[in-house]
Amino acid sequence: MSEPVLQVEDLQVEFNTDHGVVRAVRNVSFDLAPGETLGIVGESGSGKSVTNLAIMGLLPKPPARIEGGKAIFQGRDLLQLNRKQLSKIRGNRVAMIFQDPMTALNPFLTVEEQMTEVTRLHLNHSRKQARHYAIDMLERVGIAAADRRIDEYPHQFSGGMRQRVMIAMALSCKPDVLIADEPSTALDVTIQAQILELMRDLQREQGTSIIMITHDMGVVATICHRVLVMYAGRIIEQASCEDLFATPHHPYTQGLLRSVPRWDGDGSTELYAIDGQPPDLTNLPPGCAFNPRCRHTESRCQTEHQQLAQLGDDRKVACWKHDAIDAEEKSHG
Amino acid sequence: MGDPLVRLSVRDLQVHFPMGGGFMGGEKRTVRAVDGVSFDLMAGETYGLVGESGCGKSTTARAILGLEKPTSGEIWLGENRIDQLSSRRMQPFRRDLQMIFQDPFASLNPRMTVSDIVSEPMIVHRLYTPKQRRIEVAKLMDLVGLNPKFLNRYPHEFSGGQRQRIGIARALAVMPKVLVCDESVSALDVSIQAQIINLLMKLQKELDLTYLFIAHDLAVVRHISTRVGVMYLGRIVETAESQELYNNPKHPYTQALLSAAPVPDPSSEAQRKRIILTGEVPSPDRVYPGCPFADRCPIVEDGCRTSPPPLEGNGHRAACFKVES
Repeated sequence: MSEPVLQVEDLQVEFNTDHGVVRAVRNVSFDLAPGETLGIVGESGSGKSVTNLAIMGLLPKPPARIEGGKAIFQGRDLLQLNRKQLSKIRGNRVAMIFQDPMTALNPFLTVEEQMTEVTRLHLNHSRKQARHYAIDMLERVGIAAADRRIDEYPHQFSGGMRQRVMIAMALSCKPDVLIADEPSTALDVTIQAQILELMRDLQREQGTSIIMITHDMGVVATICHRVLVMYAGRIIEQASCEDLFATPHHPYTQGLLRSVPRWDGDGSTELYAIDGQPPDLTNLPPGCAFNPRCRHTESRCQTEHQQLAQLGDDRKVACWKHDAIDAEEKSHG
Repeated sequence: MGDPLVRLSVRDLQVHFPMGGGFMGGEKRTVRAVDGVSFDLMAGETYGLVGESGCGKSTTARAILGLEKPTSGEIWLGENRIDQLSSRRMQPFRRDLQMIFQDPFASLNPRMTVSDIVSEPMIVHRLYTPKQRRIEVAKLMDLVGLNPKFLNRYPHEFSGGQRQRIGIARALAVMPKVLVCDESVSALDVSIQAQIINLLMKLQKELDLTYLFIAHDLAVVRHISTRVGVMYLGRIVETAESQELYNNPKHPYTQALLSAAPVPDPSSEAQRKRIILTGEVPSPDRVYPGCPFADRCPIVEDGCRTSPPPLEGNGHRAACFKVES
């Protein structure tokens, strides 16, 4: 693998809440290679969004606290930069798109005003240059009559169109890294397919590295090259997309993949369901956080926490029983 | 309505909303949210309605429950026509027709205990003595997989999946025949969603329930439904047995919808051919003389724009001139 664009090392994030300290992100480390799409999957509260908000310096502090770790981008630790230094990188070299484009766009400003803000700041465009550039970007993301629509306000755009505006804005400065937090979750499937296709095309053209945060295994299978699976603030499995779907090692990943109903399957049988409830982050069990819901749990799982262990080239899992579990899964067919 | 196996029958339902005009000004227009929907719900089956936002699936559900006034059409609950009833006269029929909502956070009163929430419908419908009610509530808790010792807790003490179980217990409290589930599992995480889908299917068997299951997630609808109707712009454009519809979609919209849905399998993803539709769902405040899908249809012909294609016959039906049924 070539030199990574972004290296996250041992990131720790905590929140002070009324119910105690929430350890939202624990010991998260990963590399992002140039031109790749890295998926981060997990359910609500798994820490997938907080990880990326921390990298972008977008966590409200307090209540959030970064307890440790580094996020190395172009030789500098993003977590140590002050606001001014960070604003030179944010929106320029590292950009982000969010789930809900309506709340991420300012309803009082026209699309032009919002789109030209970044290019005038980072690329020193004149007003006229910036407008031309913005129209060009809007056309590239598939907005028809862009020279007219650029003067409209966000409410005049549909959900899919707003997400296109967000993407056009995020890619305006040709960032090295694009962090996409559930960019297609709020959209209908036919629009989702358009947006994912668009992201793939733009990545091919510009070589942008993408971090794709999602809970949807279908989206992961469609667009990601590598995947991190998070549970209760930790990475519990890391693999290439093909390997993860073909041979998931962690019992949580296995359960997650099996509990997704599929419309191309036979659909008649009972769905596999992971027992129990999602973890209470203020009151995590000792040992493996997944052990109360795990079908393979043993006494050791309840006391010892298994670190993410290397299994092969770019394949990691945080379960010391995975060999035995794999064998068992195989014998079940 | 003749057939005793038909639990619920919707006949040419239309729900139109007037927009604009009046105090706020603006051009007067009509949003045709539901524009001629018909289906029968047979005893013990699950009829799934799928479609994208704005296709009218939720408005259909709300009209059935008497929460929206139909502009025209008929709704029959067994032998009784219910679409013209006043709220008071609708009341006894609500016992047979209950709803499970989408958002388990907004649909439970935060100031009521679980016990109060689940027993309230029994009180409204004057069922049981107070003592018997407590027994029934405990039974319901057990039935939906909640520990009866939680009875005196408040909704905020539960996770999303557990709250949805409370909502299901409340819907079942009056022993309904038909349950309308509007996006009832959409807000849940995948692992919890599977638990609730399994619970709904188990309850259906045990209690002989009939479901109208509305969702945008094609795979979920496929899994739970006996038959499926695909809605577009206020109309059902295709309907068939669930397996048949997914294996052999006929309407170009259904084909595009199925091809757009991502499948959690990278090897089959790489081979799939996507039909990427251009444009977006058009505004429902226009009147379409022809097929409502004509503007986005990859196989549109001139004739499609002059008169609307009918949804006729039995079994697998598609409202498209270019499909032989």
